[in-house]
Amino acid sequence: MKKFEYLKPTSLGEAISILVKYGEAAYILNGGTDLIVSMRDKIVQPEYVVDIKAVPGIDKITYSEQDGLNIGATVTLNEISDSRVVQSHYPILAEACKTVGSYQLRNRATLVGNICNASPSADTAPPLLVLDAKVNIVGPDGEKTVPLNQFFVGVKKNILKKGEIVASVSVPPIKDEWTGVYLKQGRRKEVDLATVGVAVVCVGDEVRIALGAVAPTPIRASKTETLLKGKRIDELLLEQAGESALAEVSPISDIRSSKEYREEIIKVLVKRAILQGKKGCSA
Amino acid sequence: MKHKISFTINGEVKEVEVEPNKTLLKMLREDLDLIGAKEGCGAGECGACTVIVENKPVNSCLMLAVEVDGKEILTIEGLSVGINLDPLQESFIKHNALQCGYCTPGMVMSAKALLNRNHHPTEEDVKEALAGNLCRCTGYQRIVDAVLDIAKKGVGK
Repeated sequence: MKKFEYLKPTSLGEAISILVKYGEAAYILNGGTDLIVSMRDKIVQPEYVVDIKAVPGIDKITYSEQDGLNIGATVTLNEISDSRVVQSHYPILAEACKTVGSYQLRNRATLVGNICNASPSADTAPPLLVLDAKVNIVGPDGEKTVPLNQFFVGVKKNILKKGEIVASVSVPPIKDEWTGVYLKQGRRKEVDLATVGVAVVCVGDEVRIALGAVAPTPIRASKTETLLKGKRIDELLLEQAGESALAEVSPISDIRSSKEYREEIIKVLVKRAILQGKKGCSA
Repeated sequence: MKHKISFTINGEVKEVEVEPNKTLLKMLREDLDLIGAKEGCGAGECGACTVIVENKPVNSCLMLAVEVDGKEILTIEGLSVGINLDPLQESFIKHNALQCGYCTPGMVMSAKALLNRNHHPTEEDVKEALAGNLCRCTGYQRIVDAVLDIAKKGVGK
């Protein structure tokens, strides 16, 4: 690992000014599970590493019926999956967090880090997308909130500009009854990245679908959602939904799977997720 | 620039100077002569470097040494008291839960952390807690047995 200077700001303002000052030479250190591997492999070689874990106010999970859920930047994946509030109000998210890496990795890895890393296969992304999550960004020009589906711009690329930090991710409350599921296909059950990930949330007559690891970014399958809206789910419609979702994505071959295998699994998982996601739903 | 940090390790307060680009694992092995934790993959996939920081098992290869400033660390070397092994270690021996031994310190620390947070783990709980620890001799069943046996006896804590 190349030498760097380690900085540990104690306020968001201080963190932002450090990031503005050093620009591309500075990298944010949060849980470190992506950054430290990249530094070790010399994929990134920061001159300044800015540890944000001493910044107050970004380490909490909060929930209210009115505002929904808010997950601070430094909250770990284990803190989320162990959270009673998340388990009872957003079980799909608690489950998805548990599918990332191993238990010891999840004691360090964060949801905000998972999102910022912007891997196409980020496991927390599909559930957050179907929950209409928003990203709360602070930077030199103040605060702004961006829908998650506008946050990713390409493989490992997000919209963050120089000096900007994601302070939290929020999930709006869902007034009506809903159910949802995240299904992950990997080469093995534990400690693997998703070959294909599919999240489905059913609210009223609406079926929301998002997919991971099948396009340059995690994405919502909006055409398939339109196809399903208000319809009774039967075998024929499920078949069409699988084909439709496949037409909305662009899977590639990589170390985890061939393109052809992914195409098959997309269809299977979309159908399965809709069926499982529908369970207990009124529509 | 080196950073002066202090932490408690295996019950002892230590003060050391470290370069920021040194991982916790490297500091343990190179500066503190605690060579129980091993580097397998160096990328958070094998768990051979697992130690307990602030009561939570973590991959010490994925943590910078400077990050443990002010924290409490437990490594495999801190489990035994004098020549008396921890009951969990005894259970590993009793069940022949090790072959080459490379993964063992990580396995034991993951299992120890599990027993600290869950006194009555099921087989599923044990498998989930150890999923991030690879054993290339593949002696998993005996390891699970060793952990379950000690949990049943209620001496996990």
